Amino acid sequence: MGLEHLILIVVFVVSMLVGYKIIDRVPSLLHTPLMSGMNAYSGVTVLGCLTATAVAADMSNTVSRILGFIAIVLAMINVVGGFAVTDRMLRMFHSEGNDKGGK
Amino acid sequence: MLMNLPFSPVFLAVTHHTGTAATIYYVLAAILAITVLIGISMMSKVKTAVKGNLLGSVSMLLMIVLTLWYWNIFSFVELYISILLGAVIGLWLSVKVNMIQMPQMVGMLNGFGGAASMLAGILTLIAAGDGASADIFSLATSGLAIFVGAFTFTGSMVAAGKLHGVITQKPIEFKRHALWTALTLVLSLLTVVLLSIPAVLAATVAKTIIIIFSAIISGLFGIIFAIRVGGADMPITISLLNSFSGVAGAIAGLAIADPLLVSVGAIVGASGLLLTQIMCRSMNRKLIDILLGKTSTPQVKAIQSAAASVTAGAGKTEVKVAGAEELVADAVQTGPAYAAWLNDAEKIIIVPGYGMALSQAQPLVKNLMDELEDAGKNVEFAIHPVAGRMPGHMNVLLAEVDVPYEKLHEMEEINPQFAETDVVIVIGANDVVNPAANTAEGTPIYGMPILEVADAKHVIIMNYDKQPGYAGVDNPLYEDGRGDKIALLLGDAKESLKDLVKEYRSATSQAVTVAVTEDTVPAYSRWLKDAEKIIIVPGYGMALSQAQPLVKNLMDELEEAGKNVEFAIHPVAGRMPGHMNVLLAEVDVPYEKLHEMEEINPQFAETDVVIVIGANDVVNPAANTAEGTPIYGMPILEVEDAKHVIIMNYDKQPGYAGVDNPLYEEGRGDKIALLLGDATASLKNLLQELREYCG
Repeated sequence: MGLEHLILIVVFVVSMLVGYKIIDRVPSLLHTPLMSGMNAYSGVTVLGCLTATAVAADMSNTVSRILGFIAIVLAMINVVGGFAVTDRMLRMFHSEGNDKGGK
Repeated sequence: MLMNLPFSPVFLAVTHHTGTAATIYYVLAAILAITVLIGISMMSKVKTAVKGNLLGSVSMLLMIVLTLWYWNIFSFVELYISILLGAVIGLWLSVKVNMIQMPQMVGMLNGFGGAASMLAGILTLIAAGDGASADIFSLATSGLAIFVGAFTFTGSMVAAGKLHGVITQKPIEFKRHALWTALTLVLSLLTVVLLSIPAVLAATVAKTIIIIFSAIISGLFGIIFAIRVGGADMPITISLLNSFSGVAGAIAGLAIADPLLVSVGAIVGASGLLLTQIMCRSMNRKLIDILLGKTSTPQVKAIQSAAASVTAGAGKTEVKVAGAEELVADAVQTGPAYAAWLNDAEKIIIVPGYGMALSQAQPLVKNLMDELEDAGKNVEFAIHPVAGRMPGHMNVLLAEVDVPYEKLHEMEEINPQFAETDVVIVIGANDVVNPAANTAEGTPIYGMPILEVADAKHVIIMNYDKQPGYAGVDNPLYEDGRGDKIALLLGDAKESLKDLVKEYRSATSQAVTVAVTEDTVPAYSRWLKDAEKIIIVPGYGMALSQAQPLVKNLMDELEEAGKNVEFAIHPVAGRMPGHMNVLLAEVDVPYEKLHEMEEINPQFAETDVVIVIGANDVVNPAANTAEGTPIYGMPILEVEDAKHVIIMNYDKQPGYAGVDNPLYEEGRGDKIALLLGDATASLKNLLQELREYCG
């Protein structure tokens, strides 16, 4: 395990701690949008899928290319669906006056 | 220093930028990670949340572009096709979904993310070739990504299926469930270990088989884990799977040495973990119990002890109401359900047993019969051949108090009539009406002919206690949670009969008043009219019935009448964190009115009326008192502190936790009104009553 791996693990731990701290401030009112938003972020795995698929394409490995194609499609459904649904939900939260949520 | 580190995944056939370009990449990646965090922190306020979400999605788009650039993979056309295809499907899904389906939508999307991470792990391993140039760290993390990704995928799909009603919401337990869980878990981890050994990868066939096996066995683990979680534990499961989908991504990021992926995945993992903690606290569940499926088994005992404490409580309240004379009229209006059953009934069958004889309650039985007949009802008696201690025992006793013998019917003759009977009153009989005789093979009473009282619309059972009868076989009629069909009056038959007659008289007198003067309104209309401060407590029942628009109507009408209306949201009301908030926001309830539990609980004491709509466990006061039950210690909305409570619930069955709700007890009509049935129908009734009463 080299230095770069150690750094990756540090990134993992630090992100987790910072994320925990920030998310702790979200009120339960917004827990559903928070969860679906987080869900969208979990589609970030698309980054890995992109690289891996490109490698497969470069190596002309057909099985990998098909798997990679599926992986990117699934991850993108996750990302786009997640963000869009979160947006839809958040816009429903209206204030007492006429001001719409987020505006 | 970090900038110049050569992050080099195992499979580098494609070369990424180096030197200055790499430095730029790391700087931009760090900036994007920070904008993601800013976006998330903007989600903590409604006013900024939409923008926060937008910022997050733009950051994600930039991450994709940055990745394409860094790895020099702009030229692969298939990447664009797949990105576009996924985006279109995702957009289409997001437009199509109803708010009510949101939990299963989140579950499904979550599963897709998991699947993608699993595939990323598989691809990395394939690209690692014979493993000669690979390092163990990348191999191990690839294997882990397959494991976590696969069980996140299948687990999420099972959860989504349960939420969508495709799979039963009840916990499903396989034979030796714990063993299967352990076995699949150990085998999955074993494959991870195997895949980390470069030597194993050298044999292409072995490698392929292990990868496939790893994906399948990890997927099985996910299914076995999720299948035995009950519907109402879903907020916890969904949150947990959400966490795992992030962790899976982060692990995939470790495998291909992508710091952005690691960072964002970890944030998601932390978020899911936090939500899981909050859900567990609010449902009074230990996470480990959910994971080990300890949700269903210990409940049986708990229900019994809860039932015992509830019965004890019932006695007390009844005394109190009887003492407060001026309140009796009020109490009657929402009096016990069985009084209403009797009042509405046309055909009634009385089943006497040895308990009646022991209590010498025959004269009262005759009284009851007379009263019911005077009201124009048809009353018959069903006599089981072995009721009592000698043949024809019951006939003798009833004849003694002048019950005409034409009314005493033998079993074979009367059994077909139960189906068309409105109410059956069982007085001190047990084994002879025990339906277990039809079903419980191997018990002493199996096959014994019984009086089929369960065929009737309603059954009122007076029995000394809930102990099994002489034959020692538990009577399913005594089970909890059948309050919509069966009323159980425990204690001495004479006392129970007195109570019943009293309640019945009150019910009829009330019905008569309504019919004659037509100006008697339900007590709850008066409560609402006089109220200044009203709190509405929504629950999953509201969601199921899609009653949100009516709730909004109710709020508007009450506010127009100058009343203060607020909403109390329990953290686990519904099927996912914040479920109720979303549903109410959809119908334009201002979010300032939606209050968290800690914030609103002190306000109940100064509240005139609380309206509970389809919530049960989250307002169940047993959580404060019923030690040993699954909900004991769970924080609840203290609706009982308010002056009056209007409860709309489908029935009086205990909620998911299986603990009877003392709020549903009879004889609290001066404080609590119970509107049973579909929430939409109940709300419509309430609104109509209110409009008529208030003009």
